[in-house]
Amino acid sequence: MELFANLALGFSIAFSPTTLMLAIIGCFLGTIIGALPGLGPSNGVAILIPLTFTLGLDATSALVLMSAVYYGAMYGGRISSILLNIPGDEPALMTTLDGYPMAKAGRAGDALVLSGVASFVGAFLATIGLMLLAPLLARVAFLFGPAENFALFLLAFCALAGMAGKNQAKGVLAACIGLGIAMIGVDNNSGLPRLTGGNLHLFDGIDFLVAIVGLFAVAEVFFFIESHGRNTSIGVRLEKVTIPIRDIWSTRWTMLRSSGVGFVAGILPGAGASLGSFVAYMSEKSIAGPKGKFGTGAAKGVAAPEAGNNAAAGGALVPMLTLGVPGSGTTAVLLALLVTLNITPGPTLFTERPEVVWGLIASLLIANFVLLLMNVPLVKVFVRVLQVPAWVLLPGVTMISFVGIFSLSGSYFDLLLMVAFGALGYVLRKLDIPTVPVILGILLGGNMEDALRRAMVLSDGDWTFLFSSPIAIGLWTAAVLGFVLPIFLRPLLKKPPAPET
Amino acid sequence: MASDRIFGLVFGLVALAYIASPTQIQTSFLTDPIGPKAFPIGVGIIAAICSIYMVFRPDPETTWPALRTFASLGIAVVVLVAYALALVPLGFLIPTAIAAGLLSYQISPRLGPAVASGIGLSILLFVVFKFGLGLGLVALPRGLFG
Amino acid sequence: MKRFLQMVGAGAVLTLSVTGPVTAAECIAPANPGGGWDFTCRQIGKIMFDIGAVDKPVQVTNMAGAGGGLAFNHVVAERADDAELIVAASSATATRLAQNAYAGRTADEVRFVGAIGADPGVIVVAADSEFQSLGDLVDAIKADPSAVAFAGGSAVGGFDHLKPLMVLQRAGFTDITKVKYIGVDGGADAITQTVGGFTQAMSGDMSEIVGFLKSGDVRALAVLTEERVPGFEDIPTAQEQGFDVVAVNWRGLYVPKDVSDDVFNQWADRLQQVADSDAWKETMAANGLAPFTKVGDDFQGFVDGAVAEVRQLSQDIGVLN
Repeated sequence: MELFANLALGFSIAFSPTTLMLAIIGCFLGTIIGALPGLGPSNGVAILIPLTFTLGLDATSALVLMSAVYYGAMYGGRISSILLNIPGDEPALMTTLDGYPMAKAGRAGDALVLSGVASFVGAFLATIGLMLLAPLLARVAFLFGPAENFALFLLAFCALAGMAGKNQAKGVLAACIGLGIAMIGVDNNSGLPRLTGGNLHLFDGIDFLVAIVGLFAVAEVFFFIESHGRNTSIGVRLEKVTIPIRDIWSTRWTMLRSSGVGFVAGILPGAGASLGSFVAYMSEKSIAGPKGKFGTGAAKGVAAPEAGNNAAAGGALVPMLTLGVPGSGTTAVLLALLVTLNITPGPTLFTERPEVVWGLIASLLIANFVLLLMNVPLVKVFVRVLQVPAWVLLPGVTMISFVGIFSLSGSYFDLLLMVAFGALGYVLRKLDIPTVPVILGILLGGNMEDALRRAMVLSDGDWTFLFSSPIAIGLWTAAVLGFVLPIFLRPLLKKPPAPET
Repeated sequence: MASDRIFGLVFGLVALAYIASPTQIQTSFLTDPIGPKAFPIGVGIIAAICSIYMVFRPDPETTWPALRTFASLGIAVVVLVAYALALVPLGFLIPTAIAAGLLSYQISPRLGPAVASGIGLSILLFVVFKFGLGLGLVALPRGLFG
Repeated sequence: MKRFLQMVGAGAVLTLSVTGPVTAAECIAPANPGGGWDFTCRQIGKIMFDIGAVDKPVQVTNMAGAGGGLAFNHVVAERADDAELIVAASSATATRLAQNAYAGRTADEVRFVGAIGADPGVIVVAADSEFQSLGDLVDAIKADPSAVAFAGGSAVGGFDHLKPLMVLQRAGFTDITKVKYIGVDGGADAITQTVGGFTQAMSGDMSEIVGFLKSGDVRALAVLTEERVPGFEDIPTAQEQGFDVVAVNWRGLYVPKDVSDDVFNQWADRLQQVADSDAWKETMAANGLAPFTKVGDDFQGFVDGAVAEVRQLSQDIGVLN
């Protein structure tokens, strides 16, 4: 078996006391970085890259450390989502929807353990997928042109419709706010700046991290001031942390499905972990229907996005390693690391540098197990955060957010934008306008526009080009059947039978 | 009721301004079939329609805080803006202690704990970020140590 | 432990200044981690430290924004006399300066230290493409411009877009607004679009296509250099095929304008040491970079020339009015 020989090679490289130690350090640092708002996996890895040079690590050790940080940050993002309703990074956005209600109900420990297990399942399956299928899956990227990419993003936006809550118009308005913000900056297809007012700081657009931290973390501070710390999960009496076996068992299919969805989303260049967790959450919500009680602390609503985003993190390594196309911000940073180590990812990497590829896969597996083992005892430490009084915790979270955002560009401009987003977030939530579609609009809007306009360049403005491949047609069908039709069908189905006279 | 109508109107006006601004983009003659204006204008139109809907079909009134709380919120915004502007010229420690202390006081108006949490957080976070994560924060105003 | 902690600080994004005599040099990469500028800073910084040209590791700061404009503006406005600062630059810097994309900033507001390697421009097609030479491709576009779409890693009007337009202009094809080009996120993405058959050709740099050439997914129709590139002797130049176009993406550095001549010369000397090192030669070979060393005073003249050329070209083809 070639596979086992390869894997043995990988473990012989990655499995030594030193590398194990590095994996543990990396997992710990990664978890902390992921949990801090504003410091996500991509800038976390970027911050730690110099460490590998200055410690004089060889290529393998550096890879072990960085992949541990990468997976660690993916695990860590969920912690502040669940405890504080503030996503630690953008893929953890969807975890706030059910994780925070669960914590408010006094089940913070359960939510953390359940999401930890879901993260493990997602990441583990994705690593296996990477191992077995990477060279094959690389070809998938060749099937996605502008038309297919447009259909993919359209699918995501149709899923948004199911998100809107009570008032559809407000959901759509929220998405429009996000899309509108996404349009700011230099337009790729014409090279012209749009809506920037001539301000250089806006030429690259508004970083979605600024928006997330503003809309969630800063807005949360305003709500605390308004309520003087009441009406939150902070101060909730915590049950003893146990392993919620029933929740884990009842969400087993959710985890498996979400891992699959997330992995596929991760493989597609440009989609990334956020799309993975989003589509995983929305499709589980669709499957469960109104009985699933999504949005009110449903176990499946916690498991789905975490399995999805961790699987996507693994999936994103496929195009990065086999094509040199980074599927997400973090894989772009890992790509930089590889290149600095004189390893050039691309179609020949698997044959020319098997020790690198299999060493990486082995270290991902190791990191994953370390994270699972580390997370269960650590949950006890994390839930203690909720016992910190609000008048210490909230200023602390705010200051951490400022430092995290400041580290993006080192300019006060992003900080001012963040405060503005905080005020916007406060008003939106007061008016019952959901903030998650705003973020998704920012994340996906630019990509969707680019894809559509590229498609029109290629087809000379012929719209039928958008439906010209089986994949595109399949995605359109999924969008319409899965997310648009139910909106119109639901009222019909729910209608009580006419009273007989 | 009223707040949905007011903000519907506000969002509507912003959307109109948003629709107007891309029309100012100068297009070079090198352009794609759709061009840089269509998407922003389309987004603006949909946003405007949703805003009008909010004006005419408002949800039940939300509860706004008392005027005094608004004052606290206003102070918080001012503190955060000042903090953003002070971070580069004055270094990390002093602005952070002041901003964190003021925020703490807004959440729970007791002087002692607020001062303690301001100073404590400032030092703690500096140590964590500078030495734990290796961010190159500047501790004090640059002038002090030349 | 102390050393450990100091080292962790290297490259941190927040470092605005470190005080005292223990100052480490800082290299600003005006883009997010992962791109060419980031590569320049990290490689040159690492080699400078390894060969002892600097006595502390060079800190890499990523300052993304406005295609390098934010960093350029920062250096001109706030760091004009910082002797410990170097900034990664490339042909893209010159292109943007030429197209006035840095909000009115000009090339003479900084000092260009030098370039130590160049990424040759290439035009590639999928392995199964019907086009066997650059001539075939140009003829096809002349016959029907809508039959060929190019993909490239830069936005419309950027360097990757200019390459095929220059070739077509030399071939006497003047209706360049008819040429189809899509700007995607980086060279590798442009290749997947071309291998996938969505576009018929890809315009990019040699370093972006090396892996795909070896794997046999793509064929290079032409390299845009004066001589064939060592290691890739089977790829003909555009000049050989009758199209007089040379377009290389040089990798280099600039420093703030108000540093003393001594400081400038010191950086030039360090850069020369990197250029002469074996480690850099290996790096170049591994990444498809061609030798291209222009360090010191004559480099500023080269950059000025490049800026003028791109400005003229951009006006000719209508990207700039």
